[in-house]
Amino acid sequence: MQASRARLFKEYKEVQREKAADPDIQLVCDDSNIFKWTALIKGPSETPYEGGVFQLAFAVPEQYPLQPPQVRFLTKIFHPNVHFKTGEICLDILKNAWSPAWTLQSVCRAIIALMAHPEPDSPLNCDSGNLLRSGDVRGYQSMARMYTRLAAMPKKG
Amino acid sequence: MDSDSINTTPSPSANNCKDFSRKKRRSAKLKQCKLDARREQWLSQSAVKNKGCCKEGTNGGDLKQRAQGQTDCLLENLEISRRGEANRGRETGLVKHESDSESLPSNSPMNSILLEGTGSGTSFTNSSSSSSSTSSGGCCSGSITEEEGDDGCLDDWEAVADALAADDDKREMERNNNNRENPFLGSTPEHEQNPQLGLKGEGSDLRNAKLECPRMVQRVTGSSRAWRADDAFRPQSLPNLSKQRSFPNTDRHFGQRGVPWMRSSPFTVPSSCPICYEDLDFTDSSFFPCLCGFRLCLFCHKRILEEDGRCPGCRKQYEQDPVEAEASIQEGSLTFRLARSSSMFARS
Repeated sequence: MQASRARLFKEYKEVQREKAADPDIQLVCDDSNIFKWTALIKGPSETPYEGGVFQLAFAVPEQYPLQPPQVRFLTKIFHPNVHFKTGEICLDILKNAWSPAWTLQSVCRAIIALMAHPEPDSPLNCDSGNLLRSGDVRGYQSMARMYTRLAAMPKKG
Repeated sequence: MDSDSINTTPSPSANNCKDFSRKKRRSAKLKQCKLDARREQWLSQSAVKNKGCCKEGTNGGDLKQRAQGQTDCLLENLEISRRGEANRGRETGLVKHESDSESLPSNSPMNSILLEGTGSGTSFTNSSSSSSSTSSGGCCSGSITEEEGDDGCLDDWEAVADALAADDDKREMERNNNNRENPFLGSTPEHEQNPQLGLKGEGSDLRNAKLECPRMVQRVTGSSRAWRADDAFRPQSLPNLSKQRSFPNTDRHFGQRGVPWMRSSPFTVPSSCPICYEDLDFTDSSFFPCLCGFRLCLFCHKRILEEDGRCPGCRKQYEQDPVEAEASIQEGSLTFRLARSSSMFARS
């Protein structure tokens, strides 16, 4: 408990200090609970998610960093490895491949990488996964781009 | 104690060690500058902790000074004894010659070299006799016996030691110097002695470093000896020495070899634990739990062992038996060995 709190506090300071280091990631801690974090990540360029801003919710367990944080998308996203309704993310480093050396910041980076390189063979979003697995890249991209525009971009007007 | 010292100075293995030492020495010399700089860093880090340990090392320095200034006869005896030793063990003689040749260019006459070397040896004896409280008692006895066997100059040595016991002030000064100079030795007083003595005895840091390193690794007790002891033990420890000398570098290589990404990452020379972000203390900084080079504090290591027990750097299972892990590592790198020896030291 104390260890996780100390570590999160250090991470918080690190984030504050290097805010400008990674402009694609904005990581903020809940005002009243250091175990609750939210992040805003920009959709990687040359993907259907480009131009969108996606919100992530982090729930950090007390055993952190020995246990991985629980991360899910708050913003709707059409991605093979993200549950369309719950926002749950299928990512190995958030499960069995977690290492205590990872940080919340590096988790954000990993999620951005996952957005750019979906893994259709372990899908949480079967529709999206099936599109990719059947080779319909264009269909996947257009669906993903549509949801990005609908959910992850500021409303026009 | 005598038996211990005798056992620890095996001459047969010395020859091999000597060869090793020569090769390594050369390469080591090239890196000397880097090493020195590194050492300085280490020292500054560990200086606080080392403070208590330097006493004997200081003694050695004092002895040396004493020997030069005060007792000429003693010096002669020492020289003789030293020569006797050299004759006795060929490897020793060779080592000495090498050192002479090296040191000569730096305008230090043979006599002075010999004297200094002996002086340091004396100082060890001295320290042991004067300060019984230190753990180096065993080592001291070992050195004494050696000298007895050579020349029977034990009486002189003791006298010198008595005289030396008086110079606390000098010791203090030297102590400070020691702290700065010896990176590895923080944990054990004996370790500190060696480097200091070696440095003073010879002009070349390189040599000293080598000497001190092997000693530390090999035997905790023997480390209280000065130059001479080093010569005698050198064969054994030489391979280790070169490795140890390059300890910081070796460490780095490890990281590079095992995990390429570590080089640029903060883990290469971590000042804080990458898991809990707390600063690494001296014990932590000499703790190498995994071959991949990923380092962390003992506290986090324990916590991880209680859970899945995988290294955060390479995600492989940590070795179950830490001693085995260290041993296997030793073959590859000096660093691990150091950690092990230091732990043994603490125990004894």
